[in-house]
Amino acid sequence: MATSFTPTRAVGLGATGSLVRRTLSLIPGLLLLTVVGYGGKVIEQSIAAYTKGHHITFPNIEYVLWAIVIGLLIANTVGVPRVFQAGVATYEFWLKAGIVLLGSRFLLGDVLHLGGISLLLVAIALSLSLGFMHLLGRIFKLKPKLTSLLAIGSAICGVSAIIAAKPAIGADDEDTSYAIAAILALGAISLFTFPLIGHSLHLSDKAYGLWAGLAVDNTAEATAAGALYSDAAGKVAVLAKTSRNALIGFIVLAYAIYWSSRGEAQAIGNKAAFLWRKFPKFVLGFLLISLLATAGFFTKPQLLSVANLSRWAFLLTFAGVGLRTNLRELGKQGWRPFAVGAIGEVFIALVTLGLVFGADRYLHL
Amino acid sequence: MPETTATRRGLSLDVYAVVLALALALLVRFNLIPAIKW
Repeated sequence: MATSFTPTRAVGLGATGSLVRRTLSLIPGLLLLTVVGYGGKVIEQSIAAYTKGHHITFPNIEYVLWAIVIGLLIANTVGVPRVFQAGVATYEFWLKAGIVLLGSRFLLGDVLHLGGISLLLVAIALSLSLGFMHLLGRIFKLKPKLTSLLAIGSAICGVSAIIAAKPAIGADDEDTSYAIAAILALGAISLFTFPLIGHSLHLSDKAYGLWAGLAVDNTAEATAAGALYSDAAGKVAVLAKTSRNALIGFIVLAYAIYWSSRGEAQAIGNKAAFLWRKFPKFVLGFLLISLLATAGFFTKPQLLSVANLSRWAFLLTFAGVGLRTNLRELGKQGWRPFAVGAIGEVFIALVTLGLVFGADRYLHL
Repeated sequence: MPETTATRRGLSLDVYAVVLALALALLVRFNLIPAIKW
């Protein structure tokens, strides 16, 4: 009966074929991410070698910036052809894998200390910024659900928070795409402004990293904004941003309860199950790797290898940040959601900067 | 419902990323892959 071909087997083979096709469709985009990211690394090393060889004093520009700039140039000139798009979209997957692996560079005590401070600061910044965003939404006459999405996106964690909140509060597609576009545009701007402000204020790596992690919306941009300052700042930015991400479920739940109480969204049945569904699971992976590193599971050279794997994963992420930012598309969105987002972002950046200064002084970062 | 699909994809993406990261860390731990350089 070896040649029999049952419907079950046919379905099984069909599913396998589709999985193979989907996997193959990722390859061109993955190659593009690698070329752009590695190109950034080569440019950084070439400039460093040239300036050193010619005794020229020149600030080291991290590969992060080059990878993002190359990506932006491609996306906004020739565009990213369709064949590359599926693979380029995996940048978020590499970001999460990179964050989990980065756990190896933290002792669990540091995670709890800095993560605890981050959570405290997030809670303060959150309550101030949510109130402020809703006030702005009213002044600029935005639809209330669009204001909710912008508030969630800018106060918590960008695009993933907006996507998580959309079905929970029953927001429509148009509001969601406005909010995502505004958050992405503001994230791109913060990539270039945050390091400049940090340097002009002479912030320490820890203080800057904490600020970037608390104020920059999207996880990829927060990681990049931190890494653009220094390696140590990038590490702290990821930790602060991860703490912020952990709160996503609670905020989305609060908004879902609010909108359902007004009869404009479905009621949430099992709240614990809702929280677990919305909880970003990579946070647990990050804690697990940090726990293993703290317990001495890895030798020193092995820790270095794991940390380097994280760097390679981030290299693909940063290439993706540039490649998926289409400035023309962002420009097509209305100015009001962007204005509310921008004013809100400046407010959040100032509030978190003040909080970081306070924490540096009183909580000893 | 695109939003449901996106949410589901988001969740599984997290799990796959954690599985890949842990698998790589274990390969390093048991010296099954050469040292990773940067």
